Order: sequence, then C-alpha cells, then structure tokens
Amino acid sequence: MIRQAFSDLFERLGSTSRRGIRPATLRESSLRSRIMPTPIPRELILSLQHYPDTSAKDVSSMKPCVEVGEWVAKYQLIAREKGPNATRLHAPTSGTVQAIEEIPPAVNGQRARLAIRLLTDTDERELPLEPPSDYRSLAPEQMIQLIEDAGICGMGGAGFPTATKVRDALEKGVKTLIINGVECEPYISCDEALIRERADLTVQGAELLQAACLADDCVIVIDNAMPAARQALKEKLQGSAIKLQVVRRRYPAGDERQLVKAVCRREVPNDGHPTDIGVLVQNIGTAVAVYEAIVHAKPCISRIVTLTGSALLTPKNFDAPIGTPVQHLLNLCGVNENQHEFTIRGGSMMGQYLMDQAAPIEKTTNCIIASNNAEIPEREAEQACIRCGYCEQACPAQLQPQRLLASIRNEEWQDTVELGLDDCIECGACAVVCPSRIPLVSYFRAGKEIHNEDHSAQRQSRHWQERFQFHQYRIKKNQEKARSAKVAAQSAGEEQGFSRDQARMEISAAVERVRRRREALARETGHGEEKS
Amino acid sequence: MMKQRLASSSPMQFFPLQTSQIMLLVILATLPAMLVATWFFGYGVILNVLFATLVGVLCEATISRIRGRSVRATLADNSCLVTAVLFGMTIPPGTSWWLIVMGMVFAIALVKHAYGGLGQNTFNPAMAGYLFLLLAYPLDMTSWHLPAAAMNFNSASSPLGWQGFLQSLGCLFPFLPLLGDSLTVDGLAMATPLIESKLAAGNAIKAALEEGTGLFARSSETGWELINFAWLLGGLFLLVTRLISWHIPLSMIASTLIMSLLYYSPSAVAVLGTPYLHLFGSATMMGAFFIATDPVSAATGSRAKIAYGIIIGVSLYSIRVWGSYLDAVAIAVLFGNFCAPLLDRLLAPRKYGHPGLFSKLLGDITTGKSSP
Ligand code: SF4
Ligand code: SF4
Repeated sequence: MIRQAFSDLFERLGSTSRRGIRPATLRESSLRSRIMPTPIPRELILSLQHYPDTSAKDVSSMKPCVEVGEWVAKYQLIAREKGPNATRLHAPTSGTVQAIEEIPPAVNGQRARLAIRLLTDTDERELPLEPPSDYRSLAPEQMIQLIEDAGICGMGGAGFPTATKVRDALEKGVKTLIINGVECEPYISCDEALIRERADLTVQGAELLQAACLADDCVIVIDNAMPAARQALKEKLQGSAIKLQVVRRRYPAGDERQLVKAVCRREVPNDGHPTDIGVLVQNIGTAVAVYEAIVHAKPCISRIVTLTGSALLTPKNFDAPIGTPVQHLLNLCGVNENQHEFTIRGGSMMGQYLMDQAAPIEKTTNCIIASNNAEIPEREAEQACIRCGYCEQACPAQLQPQRLLASIRNEEWQDTVELGLDDCIECGACAVVCPSRIPLVSYFRAGKEIHNEDHSAQRQSRHWQERFQFHQYRIKKNQEKARSAKVAAQSAGEEQGFSRDQARMEISAAVERVRRRREALARETGHGEEKS
Repeated sequence: MMKQRLASSSPMQFFPLQTSQIMLLVILATLPAMLVATWFFGYGVILNVLFATLVGVLCEATISRIRGRSVRATLADNSCLVTAVLFGMTIPPGTSWWLIVMGMVFAIALVKHAYGGLGQNTFNPAMAGYLFLLLAYPLDMTSWHLPAAAMNFNSASSPLGWQGFLQSLGCLFPFLPLLGDSLTVDGLAMATPLIESKLAAGNAIKAALEEGTGLFARSSETGWELINFAWLLGGLFLLVTRLISWHIPLSMIASTLIMSLLYYSPSAVAVLGTPYLHLFGSATMMGAFFIATDPVSAATGSRAKIAYGIIIGVSLYSIRVWGSYLDAVAIAVLFGNFCAPLLDRLLAPRKYGHPGLFSKLLGDITTGKSSP
C-alpha cells in the first residue's frame, strides 16, 4: 500500500491546477485508428425522448410522423418536436418501421421512453437533398431554419437544440462565438478525432455559425493535449479570421462557463447564460453538423462516438448512425468477454453505467467505455470528512463543497442556498479528489432535488440512486441517534452494502410522494402540468 | 458486481490517495524529527510514541464500541496514529506511563470523540491533550529523565546503547525493576519541545547563542536546532507531495519572522530572542508544518488558511514573549482552532458568476443595488 501511495504521489505532483483537476488522459488507444464508418446494423432504435437525462415527465419529446409498417427513406423526417426544447428526427437509413414502443431505460434513473424501431434494408435509398444554391448569400434566419430542419442539437452532452440557442444569440446580439473543442474527460476522444480528420469542415462550420449569429469574433478552443488536432486546425485556419486558442488541459475546462472564463476573462453571471455577456458557445461536433445542414441540407443522422476501455480489442471512434445499438459497436471493436464487467455511457467523470447493451446511440452520446474493475476500481469505503479542503481547491464553481456537504447532511436548506448549491455544475471534481471518498456530487444532486421538491413540488424524481445514498445516510444517522448496539458488529464492508429491494422501495416511495404532491398541487391550482 | 456498480454514480475515477494513506504519509514525514530527537535524547522519544500509539488505539477502539460504531472502520482512517505520534513527540522523554495514558485518553475520548469523532473535533487532539497535561501536571511536564549519556556529550557511552534503552524503558515504567545502581538516569527541569526558553530563560538562550552550531553535539540546548531542521524537512516533504498546501506554514512562519524582526533589539536578546531562535530554537517548525496544518481543526479555504496562519504566528510570538503561559505553540494553535470556522465563513471564495465583495460595494454606490 505504501509503495502504491508513493508511486501515486508523483502522479499527484502538479496534478491540481488552480481550480479543477487534471486526470490522466486516456485518449491514445481510441485515437490509434481513424474514424470508422459504421456498417448499418439490422435494427436502429430511435428514441423519441430527446433529453439525455431524466428530467422530462413525458415518455417522449417528439411526435412520430410515420406509421408502424411504413417504409421510410434515408433522410426522411420521422418525428417532429413537441415543444421548443426538442429537435426533430430523421431516418439514418432506409427501412421499415417495425414498432413504436417503449424501450427499457439505458441508465439508472431514466424513465420509460418511446422509440421507433427501424428494421433497416441494405438499399440505403435516400430522399434527394435540396441544398441551397448559394449558401454564402443566406440570411442568418434562413441558416437557422436549415439548422432547425436538420434536427441538430448540442453534441457535447446537454443536447439543447442548436437552432434555439443560435436564434437567442442572434436576438440578443453576441460578440464572441466560441467553438468548444476542449475535451476534458479522460477517455473521450471524439472531438479530437473529428478535428484531426475533418478540420476543414470544422472551420467552415464555425464560419457558418458565426454568420448565423452575427458574432464579431469566433474562437476555436482546444486543449494542449492534442498536438495533432492543433496542427490540423492551424493549417486550415490560415487566412481565416477565426482565432485558435489553446487552453491548459484540466477538468472541467470544457464546461461552458469555464470556457467562457478562459476565453473572455469574464464570468457568466450566476443566474444568466453566456449570451447575457455576449458569448455563444457551440461544440465542435455541432459545428460540423451545421456545415452539413447548411451546405448540403443534410439532416443530423449520425455522430462521432468514442468506443474505448480495456475490455475492447481495438478501441476507436465511429461515425455511427443515430439509433445504433451499443452492442453493435462493441462487437465491431471486438470485446474481450473475460475483461468486460461493465459499460459506461459518457465519460468516467460525468457518465453513467449503462444498464442495457441494446440501448441506442443518441445525438448526445459521445462515449462508450467497456471496462472492468482492474481498470476502473470501485469507489473505496467512505470515511469521515477531514476538512482537508482538497475539494474546495478543485471546485471550478469556487464553492466550498465540504461546507455544502455538512449543510445538506444537516438539511439546512437556507445555508445550502447561500453556499451556492444552485451554482454547483455537478462536475464531480470534488468527489474525485476527496481522500475520504465521499460521493459529494451525489449529495449535491440529491440536495438540489430534495430542496426543489420541497419548494415547488414540480420536479420529477430523478437520480434515485443518489436519493438512495442520502436515504442510507439518514438511516445511519437515525440509527446512531438511537445508539443501536447491533450496528457495532457491522463491518465497514457491510455498511457499504447495497440492496436493490431496499432501493426499489425507496424509489417507489419517492415517486409516490411526488405523485401525491403533484395531485395536491393540481387540486389547489387547477393546473398541475405546469412546466418547471 | 454489476448491481453494485449501477447503484453508484459518476465520477468513477478518483485520485489515488485516501485519507488513511495520507495519515500514514504524515507519520512518515515525522520520521526525520523522531530520529534526530532520539539521537539527542535516547530511546525515550520512540518509547513515548509507541506507548502513546498503543494507548490511542485501545482508547479509540473502546470508544467507537461504546458509540456503537464499527471499530474496524473507525481505526481504518489511521487518524489516531497521527495524534499519538505528534502527542508522543511533545511529551518529555522519560515521562512515566500514566501521564501518557491520561493525555491520550483526554485527547481521544474528550477532544475527538466527545465532539463527534474524526472531522467534527474543533480542537487539535494532540495539542489539547498536551495542554491538559501541562496545566494539570506542570512539574512532571517539565521534568526530563534522560539516560545519563544524553546529558553529557563527552560521555563515552551513547544513550543509544543497550544501557540507554533500559534506562529509557525504566523511566517510562518505573515499576519495572530496571533502574538499579548501575543504571541511573539524570533528571532536570528543562523546556519541553513546546515550552520555550521561559523556564530556563536567559541562560538557555545565551548558551544556545554561544554554542551556536555545534549541531551534532549532544547538548540539550542546541539540540532543538537540528530537530527543527528535521521537522522542516518532513514539512517540505508534505508540501512537495501536496498533502498540505503552502498557505498555513508559510503565513505562520512569515508572521512569526516578521514579529521577531519587528521587535528585535540586540540589547534584549535574552528576553525577546532573535529571529533565528524564534524559528529554529523551539517548536515553530513542528507547529507550522504538522500541528497547525491538521486539516480537521484548521481553516480549509486558501484565503482562510492564510489568515489562520497569521493568527497563529502572531499569537505564537506574543505568547512566547509577553504571555505568562508556559507554552506558546499549543496555545496559539488552539486559539487558531477557535477562529477557523469563522474564517472559513468570512473568507469563503467568491462563487463563480457571483459579484465579489468589491463590485458588490461598487454596485451599491453606483446603482443603489448590488450589481448582477
Ligand atoms: S475533499 Fe473530502 S475530506 Fe476533504 S474537505 Fe472535501 S469532503 Fe472533506
Ligand atoms: S460537483 Fe459542484 S461542488 Fe463539486 S467540484 Fe463540481 S461544481 Fe464544485
């Protein structure tokens, strides 16, 4: 153990920058080969729930505009957005609609959602695209319309509809457009691969975005751990007005607010958006999709996904059609079954464990990690907070996580607000550095949710696993109060134990509670289905 | 396995060091000082530490049992080992066993667990335990019982020999029939590591100045110099490995230095000391790197840590020179402990996207309300 600690010490040297953390990069293996086009799988599963997370109440955010049994062509519109915060969906290839049904949740806490199952055929017959005759002479509003028609959403992870964001920026007027090529998650390399191989499209996409939002300047930001991408961009940027900025790699440098600070030396007001200070941030992948949408009128039907992890024989990036089952991509990489113990969707910092290998790639899925305990060991047993302050030094939102933790544990909601619970971006940097292995973010997510529930009764129960952790903590606290002698016999290992049944009970109780409150609210106000 | 995993959430990777390992590394960093002290004072130092550790572990185990907590989980954080090591090194070598038992039980049972266990205690347990003994048994705490050889550096035998070991053991456990005619120990009233020149006052300082850098001579007056350098070495190890941040040690040492420079006067050296003596003639280095930085009872934020260090440094000098207490470092640190929670509150970092104090005030002046 001492030897381990020693070798780790040297890793730690210089590992924390002023704010944020610097985990090792693990992108190399997936960048060894070029982006691989994906052979069309037999079935595509096109989720009608746009939101990557679980905050939505409805089973779908899109309305299908095809029937079961109908044959659809590639690029054909198959679902329309229901509200302003969703995008539309196009068929990634030709085939027959087999079913429109609920699919199981992909990750913990996700709710049931509708999806179109598309049985693909091998013809790939496509609708003719109608690109604008001269895209350079398009007005901003026309460009935004093309973006909207293509169903593009933020490809960095949040999945906010790009058209809405750009339109907002156009209305408010922005000075700077930031194209975010910073990848701060250790494993994810899709953006870097994209820049390396399609630097010209990236630059043109950036130019088009700039024209669409009428920004004065445009900056492409990458981090200093991608020299090849930097070289590629430099070449393509010659003679262009777009600037290139390289920031130091650290987590979470790629977060929107962190990026704005790094580029503009200004902070986004806590209750506002980047557009409030004249900045629009778009992801690199989004820029390429925008290029396709405006120049070729091509809808967003695929994205770059990183497949990596030590259980894969050949990790690589795929250009995968939306709706490709994860299993299909895993097979293409070759899975070493002995080493494959779990799969993560998203990065190792903010991702979630994938429950169902048949779950589809969505517009916001940037990474799949097939891994095992040896590569990503489980969190060790939680110990008491020793107030070391490492978390405070790591927090990019400049909060004091250790005090926040104490106030949440004591359920002092007034304090949590003052300490900035709402400013927490849930990046998890604090939990990464915590030597006592306290799942700080889990507490913060749970805290936000309970707090919001207490106040508005409008939010759905989400992230029940975090609620569960908090619940366990409460139980423990109460037990201690009661001085239960039996607990003494319990070993540290058992305290960490997890029972699915208990968890289920907790979830159903939580869901029930929310439902009751909703009903009560609906009775009082006459309209319970208000948007939060 | 998979089920376990599903219940946990991101992040999934962690920085390598855990609390228990950090504690072990802190103990590792105390080794240089422990070795140097042993070289000067014989095995009494190590025996103190070992015995304090034993008492500490037993006490911690008993109390976590009483509190209905898992004994294994409580001991696993290794924090009581650090307390025991630091406590053991502040007690004069050759102290009887019961003093150590009382001090450790006070530290673990009252200072740590009565406040809620690790992470909840307001005060540094080792320092509080030490101070308790100092107030209750001032005589015993200033009596040193050293092997004869350690007193006289011209003596042919070394305190590190077998005889010296038996003598030290005999001091710790007087009921053992170890101290016979052939095994005598010398006792003298002397400053402990933390009780500075106040008792021996002028003489000690003068001797220290005159003998100067006879660093390796086994002289109880100049020994502190080398011991302090050993603490500094251990402290630098903690700094380089980023186990502690520079804020507290630097601000504490700097403020002590500035105070001693400010009041330095060649004619009053016997009373006010010299800046060099203030830094290396007593327990300043141990205090700065190992005691004030105890995370649990210290301030946590960068700004708060600097203020915390300054408070300790200034009160350290003041107590040493003008105070009537026997001890400076322990009291200064406990005083800092008092202030720490307030400092954390007052000097909290400005949250991202929130106006700072300055622009808040400016906003008040210019617009009549705080700026967004
Ligand atoms: S890093 Fe963990 S142990 Fe340290 S202060 Fe933060 S919560 Fe407490
Ligand atoms: S999760 Fe929240 S509190 Fe923790 S480091 Fe990120 S922003 Fe700070």
